[in-house]
Amino acid sequence: MANKVRLGFVPLVDCAIPVVARAMGFAARENIELELVREMSWAAIRDKLAFGMLDAAHLLAGIPIAARLGLGGLPVQNIVVPMALGRGGNAITVSTKLYQRMLEADPDAMHGPRGLSARALKKVIDEDKAEGRPIMSFATVFPFSSHNYELRYWMAAAGIDPDADVNIGVIAPPRMFDSLRNGWVDGYCVGEPWNQRAVFHGDGVIVALKDDIWSRSPEKVLGLREDWANSNPELVSSLVRALVCAAEWADQPGNRVELAHILSEEANVGAPFEVLNASLSGKPVLRPGEPPLDLPDRHVFYRYTATFPWLSQGRWLGEQMKRWRQIPEDSDLKAVIREVYRPDLYRTAVDGLDVLVPKDDWRVEGAANSADQALVGRDQFLDDSVFEVEC
Amino acid sequence: MVRLEEYNILVIDEDPDRAAIVERGLVESGYARVSRIGTSHNLVERIQALAPDIIIIDLENPDRDTLEQMFQVSRAIARPIAMFVDQSDASMIQEAVSAGVSAYVVDGLRQDRIRPIVEMAISRFNVFDQLRRERDEAQAKLNERKMIERAKGLLMKEKGLSEEESYNLLRKNAMKQNRKIYEIAQSVITAFQLEF
Repeated sequence: MANKVRLGFVPLVDCAIPVVARAMGFAARENIELELVREMSWAAIRDKLAFGMLDAAHLLAGIPIAARLGLGGLPVQNIVVPMALGRGGNAITVSTKLYQRMLEADPDAMHGPRGLSARALKKVIDEDKAEGRPIMSFATVFPFSSHNYELRYWMAAAGIDPDADVNIGVIAPPRMFDSLRNGWVDGYCVGEPWNQRAVFHGDGVIVALKDDIWSRSPEKVLGLREDWANSNPELVSSLVRALVCAAEWADQPGNRVELAHILSEEANVGAPFEVLNASLSGKPVLRPGEPPLDLPDRHVFYRYTATFPWLSQGRWLGEQMKRWRQIPEDSDLKAVIREVYRPDLYRTAVDGLDVLVPKDDWRVEGAANSADQALVGRDQFLDDSVFEVEC
Repeated sequence: MVRLEEYNILVIDEDPDRAAIVERGLVESGYARVSRIGTSHNLVERIQALAPDIIIIDLENPDRDTLEQMFQVSRAIARPIAMFVDQSDASMIQEAVSAGVSAYVVDGLRQDRIRPIVEMAISRFNVFDQLRRERDEAQAKLNERKMIERAKGLLMKEKGLSEEESYNLLRKNAMKQNRKIYEIAQSVITAFQLEF
């Protein structure tokens, strides 16, 4: 008899891995009856996982760490991460009005590397300050999301204080697009299809892509309750195998059109096919009416160890929590990350499969020309910094 | 000691009918200061203006992600708010999650004072669920009856049977095939809709 697994997901392009695992039979091949539950908010999916209404969940990588630290008002929840669910496809989108202002304030910055486009935003903020105008509002999807940390990283590198110079609020992903459209926010950092959708509707312009900020920044992970994982070790292995195989399928350029069709279904992401396909085919459109770019790495599900739960990626998230004062300076992140991130579970699951796994569980992140670039892909922060912390 | 009616309770729900049921339950139990809001883009400002002690919100509501931010940015709200989870009572957590209720409370309120409010919300959510289920079932029954009437009408018109003969024919076939009468009626309707 097949093992039942209830897995919750939020409608974003990176729910592709669990959706494909079910749709293309990778779960069934591992004797898993995968039930997918569509959730509209990160708080809801976290609580349902924590309190046993879900066995597994597509989670923001920061949520299991925050849950282990008892952040967000919830008592401590022990969630483990046996694998990552790809590198996501985040971007920073601003309203067309703000884009025009940025372009006028600093055309050089807007025509230079996208990772540094916040320099133009800084000038707009300075103008507003001089004129005594109210500060602008930006949105991310959750306090512990990579989106929040990417947006802050991008701003801070240009000398903007994200806690004082702008308002950063939280809006659930499916509501982002309307918020920009109605002028409730001036910009946001969110995963696809919500950036591409704003561009296609002429309401927004993408000013920086995830790749421009840090291509290896951690995005979504598979979250499991620790007690459930401990009592079902074989099922955990089968589930990870099914999802890794699904990721490999989703990563093939030849499967991307079919993937865009699958994701466009209402039960999955439920966004128009052409919006999903633009981004999945590596041809994102950054400004309304402009020709697409050619970025084959816009969405990475499998290659570059995109499913491996790197301790150093988890640690980077933890350090961002410290940087933005969400956790105390003296928090023992090394121990916490090792409890949450479980590369050992990943290694056990894929043992015997033709899956490239790194030799170590952590690495120096952001070092240009590191010896493992072929394995992990391009690895560069927008400010060329290097994240070297023993994990 | 704070009297019941002094607690300022806010109900956030996209479903105005359910919000009304929860509100009425609380007011009838002696909580006088209950307000409710639906979905709104300036949620943080509205909550600031209302300054609730307790927020009752449906678990699935996407606005919860926005509320969670308030834990992080205490300057956004005068008093820090945290999710209410009575750790001493696991069954209550289960009840709340399965009823779809979550609650956020101002830091420092006593658990035993909050529990009856959350319990009231849970029971009202369950009542609402029950009402909705009954309404859906009644609607489904009505649709089944309509389908049987239509099938009878078709048999009378196309086959020249009386009303009683038509009904008996449907019933006989239902018994023989071990199916419901409305299912047979559906097949009859489909069959007559076929174009040859």
